[in-house]
Amino acid sequence: MPCERKPMRYGHSEGHTDVCFDDEGKCVVTCGSDGDVRIWESLDDDDPKSINVGEKVYSVALKVISAWLKMVENEGANFGILFSSDFIVKIVEVVDSSQQKTLRGHDAPILSVALDPSDEFLASSSCDGSVAVWSIESQTQVAQWQILQKSSDVSNAKSLCRLAWQPRSGKLLAVPVDLTIQLYDRNTWTHVSTLSDDLISQVVNVVVWSPCGKFLAAGTVGGNLLVWDVEAKLCIERQKHEKGFTVCGMAWHPSGGRIAYTDTEGCLGLLEGVPSSSSTVQSTKVSPKETHDYDDLFDEDDDRGLDEGMSDSRSPVKKPIMEEDDDDDDLMPATGRPRNRGSFLDDDDNSQDPSCVKLDGVPEEDGSSAILPAVGPAVSRPVYEGPMPTQPQRAFQPGSTPVHLMHRFMVWNSVGIVRGYNDDQDNAIDVEFHDTAIHHAMHLTNTLGHTMADLSQEAVLLACEGTEELASKIQCLHFSCWDTHKDWIVDLPKGEDVRTLCLGQGWAAVATSALMVRLFSVGGVQKEIFSLPGAVVCMAGHGEQLLIVYHRGTGFDGDQALGIQLLQLGHKRRQVIHGEPLPLSRKSYLAWMGFTAEGTPCCIDSEGVVRMLNRTLGNMWTPVCNTRDSCKSKSDHYWVVGVHENPQQLRCIPCKGARYPPTLPRPAVAVLPFNLPYCQTTTEKGQMEEQYWRSVLFQNHYGFLSSSGYEIDSEGQSRAEKEQQELLMKMFALSCKLEREFRCVELAEIMTHSVVTLAIRYASRSRRMALAQRLSELALEKASQIQEEEQEEEEPAYQRLICSSFEEMKLLLNFVFQEYLINIFKLQVSGAGKSSSSPAGQPRTTNVLDSMTMSNRKPAPLGSTSKQGKAPVLKPLAPKPKSKVQCVAQIQMFSSPAGSHTLPKTGFQLWLEENRKSILADNPDFEEMDVIKEGMGRFRTLSAEERLNWTERAKGDSDPKKRKREDEEGQVDEQTESDEGRTKKKKPLDTSAKLSAFAFNKE
Amino acid sequence: MDPAEVEFLAEKEMVKIIPNFSLDKIYLIGGDLGPFNPGLPVEVPVWLALNLKQRQKCRIVPPEWMDTDKLEEIREQERKLDTFTPIPSLYYMELTKLLLNHSADNIPKADEIRTLVKDIWDTRVAKLRLSADSFISQQEAHAQLDNLTLMEINTTRSFLLDSLNYMYKLRSNLQPGRSQDY
Repeated sequence: MPCERKPMRYGHSEGHTDVCFDDEGKCVVTCGSDGDVRIWESLDDDDPKSINVGEKVYSVALKVISAWLKMVENEGANFGILFSSDFIVKIVEVVDSSQQKTLRGHDAPILSVALDPSDEFLASSSCDGSVAVWSIESQTQVAQWQILQKSSDVSNAKSLCRLAWQPRSGKLLAVPVDLTIQLYDRNTWTHVSTLSDDLISQVVNVVVWSPCGKFLAAGTVGGNLLVWDVEAKLCIERQKHEKGFTVCGMAWHPSGGRIAYTDTEGCLGLLEGVPSSSSTVQSTKVSPKETHDYDDLFDEDDDRGLDEGMSDSRSPVKKPIMEEDDDDDDLMPATGRPRNRGSFLDDDDNSQDPSCVKLDGVPEEDGSSAILPAVGPAVSRPVYEGPMPTQPQRAFQPGSTPVHLMHRFMVWNSVGIVRGYNDDQDNAIDVEFHDTAIHHAMHLTNTLGHTMADLSQEAVLLACEGTEELASKIQCLHFSCWDTHKDWIVDLPKGEDVRTLCLGQGWAAVATSALMVRLFSVGGVQKEIFSLPGAVVCMAGHGEQLLIVYHRGTGFDGDQALGIQLLQLGHKRRQVIHGEPLPLSRKSYLAWMGFTAEGTPCCIDSEGVVRMLNRTLGNMWTPVCNTRDSCKSKSDHYWVVGVHENPQQLRCIPCKGARYPPTLPRPAVAVLPFNLPYCQTTTEKGQMEEQYWRSVLFQNHYGFLSSSGYEIDSEGQSRAEKEQQELLMKMFALSCKLEREFRCVELAEIMTHSVVTLAIRYASRSRRMALAQRLSELALEKASQIQEEEQEEEEPAYQRLICSSFEEMKLLLNFVFQEYLINIFKLQVSGAGKSSSSPAGQPRTTNVLDSMTMSNRKPAPLGSTSKQGKAPVLKPLAPKPKSKVQCVAQIQMFSSPAGSHTLPKTGFQLWLEENRKSILADNPDFEEMDVIKEGMGRFRTLSAEERLNWTERAKGDSDPKKRKREDEEGQVDEQTESDEGRTKKKKPLDTSAKLSAFAFNKE
Repeated sequence: MDPAEVEFLAEKEMVKIIPNFSLDKIYLIGGDLGPFNPGLPVEVPVWLALNLKQRQKCRIVPPEWMDTDKLEEIREQERKLDTFTPIPSLYYMELTKLLLNHSADNIPKADEIRTLVKDIWDTRVAKLRLSADSFISQQEAHAQLDNLTLMEINTTRSFLLDSLNYMYKLRSNLQPGRSQDY
């Protein structure tokens, strides 16, 4: 059998528990010895609502109550049954509690009772070992069997002995007796058959009929769950409780496909795909009549065949339940009976058989299984095994608790709280503001039956769905209005219902069942209307932004297919997000949607993952937090009420064992930190990366706000920027420590320019020359970038200023380099003779530096530079052409009194000057650049001693410098004109040349 | 020391409030408080919490231990043991009194809590008296009492010290007399 056992969930504290489905099978209701009744909204994603009914001790009473409630729901049910340890069963009419009937006859506490679907009989089991059937009308005992083991009290009884009548017809009464289940015929009260299985090793506790009456499920003390086909007497399903706890409550889903069960440890479990379900569903309308006939036939056969097999053993089983509770455990209706009864009651007047015919259509088996019972019902059913479509989630108001609660939050947002009360005494709405300065609290009577609400600084918007007579209404309390009419009401057209609504600044939006969004001004003027591509799920408003989430299509296998639109209302109306899919976790649905206080869209799914729109990454969604990580237990949740970016706060309400908070006691808000799911956040590196990107993400709103014309907290912004740069610097330091120089450079690329200088200083202090050099290039590049940007913006008149500041920066860099460059050069100079002993790192530095610069940013490498890289010594290069700015700057520099910054001649330059002519003679068509290149090539071929010679000469040669520099400037200027594109690329080289020269000079 | 003085000290304890107004950080000699965001819990000293509460500017979130279950557990523990059990707050009595008097509406099951705390207090003070009694009657030179709160010490201090003084005087008067007798 393709029966799936779902994992157990914690439902109640240890002790006796019980379970049943509501009539439509939408909810599972459980109760436990903790005195709570929990309503599990859907089976997969449990959002149990708990209703505390009594204290522990009275769990019995609680059950009665819950049973009553269930009965009342089924209109036909008139009775509540009370039974207690005083050996009597009382029948109380629910409507009029003065009508009581008492059934006396048991000599020990009652274990359980079961009401016959036609309300004619009542079966009870007792600790005295007897099972009795009573006629309700005459209050007399109709039959009694001494089949159970005796025990003194419910707490000592081995089995709960939950009886069950066959639904609809009530033809058979199933009694769990020891390891078997015995079936008794209704009219003759004789034993007709016994169901058993080898798997049963311990006493059967609970028996439940499937809604169709064809199958019987049983739960045993050892945690076995079995399902029999009653006609065939065939065990068609065997399951074992995952922990082997005693099963004490079972309920069959009204459609038949699922069985919910609870154990004495308070856990709720679910069996999916129990055979009867599918066959039932499929065969639903196949041939009700025939089926019915067959059923009857088989029923009778079974009865006769099994007569003998009755076993008398009724070993009571130890039942780990608290004494008091047990009195009530026996409460039958909890096992799903009320549901059956409901469907029956209408038909009760008819004789049993006709009623069967009528009803059987729905729950009866398909013909095939009835005809060939031996084969088993699951044999040849064509089953679709592909992905199953998901039930689309219903529209909701973000920040509200479910509508069916009597006391609920209609909305809880950053402005305030709207609570709805809908109980016997009162149908009212309370509006309360977090900040009483906005408005005082309000109490409204809810005559229209509003179920949806939103709250903003200006107004409260309420809406109700339409009924048959009344149209769906929107009510707005515009409390910030300055005239005397503070509210307005709008009726929607007939047949159109409000699904969800939201308020923005000066406007309200309402999405309706007609797949339409209607915009209103906050004063009540109707504005634009537009259609949505799918059924709306929720909306949120903030300032001029409207966020709409709707069903984009059908999701499969538990996923939802949601689309999202973000509209900018106000002056420049536009659509920012055009219905892109909204990312959610697997098998989850949307739980909250809204804006952060700063106006960034944010969504939370039922798995607790908070995602935020990243406007700088093409409007992608970045997960920023998983609230489930901070939950202590699996069934705890956080109910989010607000998201703030500055300071970074996720405001939410911790809900223990539930998805939603109760209104009382008033829940307290907790603040969760954000935590981006980066890898290896246990390491220092991962942590800092997470912090950095979080800071970047949460700083995005400044850009958005300023671009849409809001004023921003510039202090906060600069603080965030500072924090980011600090983090980068720390990461840089860390990578340095780990000798990851490439990584260092990567980090430096995201740093701002000023921090790069710091990084350079750090690198130099930690004696990483290669790194420092690379960084210096980077710094220059960044500087020029900044400058170019500025240039674009600024007037040419300001250029000089910029240039000078740029130059200053360069000087700063020079100073930074100075100290270590001097050292290096000293080394080189002394070691140049024996070139092999030159510091290993140093020559490579230039090398790598150059090639890296090119490969990184300059796709067209210059031959000269790459060749030059092979030089064993850090060679000062001939001044290379500079960018325009640099030239200007240099000229300026020359004229300034700070002449010490001018560059000295280098050995190569001297050499080049002497050899220029010969080069030109060899290649008369050479441009200046080519000359230099060629010169470098030649210079390199010289021996180390010769080169050193030149260098020495260059040092001594200070007088002609000035003149030559001027020459150079001239050249430079020429070149700037000729190949400006290239010049820029040369810049870093040029700098290092200048730097080194400078260093020599100092020496 | 006066009980009022002890209460004054207790007012320095921190308690969480949920303000319904908005205010930036305030800088006080005792430290910075805030910022206050409407609807968001913030820790402030009791004196400020009570002041704000009286002006209806906040709701007070009762301290964690101010919960019937926890107090019941403490009460049982207190009754079971002969020694003093550790108490969740050194100012439990004062805080209970202050908070319940001024903001009972924010504290669920206020009456039960009042009773429980009173029970605990009574048990402890009874123990204290008992031990003082045995201390004196056995003429011990010193005794160790752990986990006593300031208020509890305060209730017995003046009386116990004075009476010990008197007894000392009486005894010392008695002894020379005796020696004279013999």
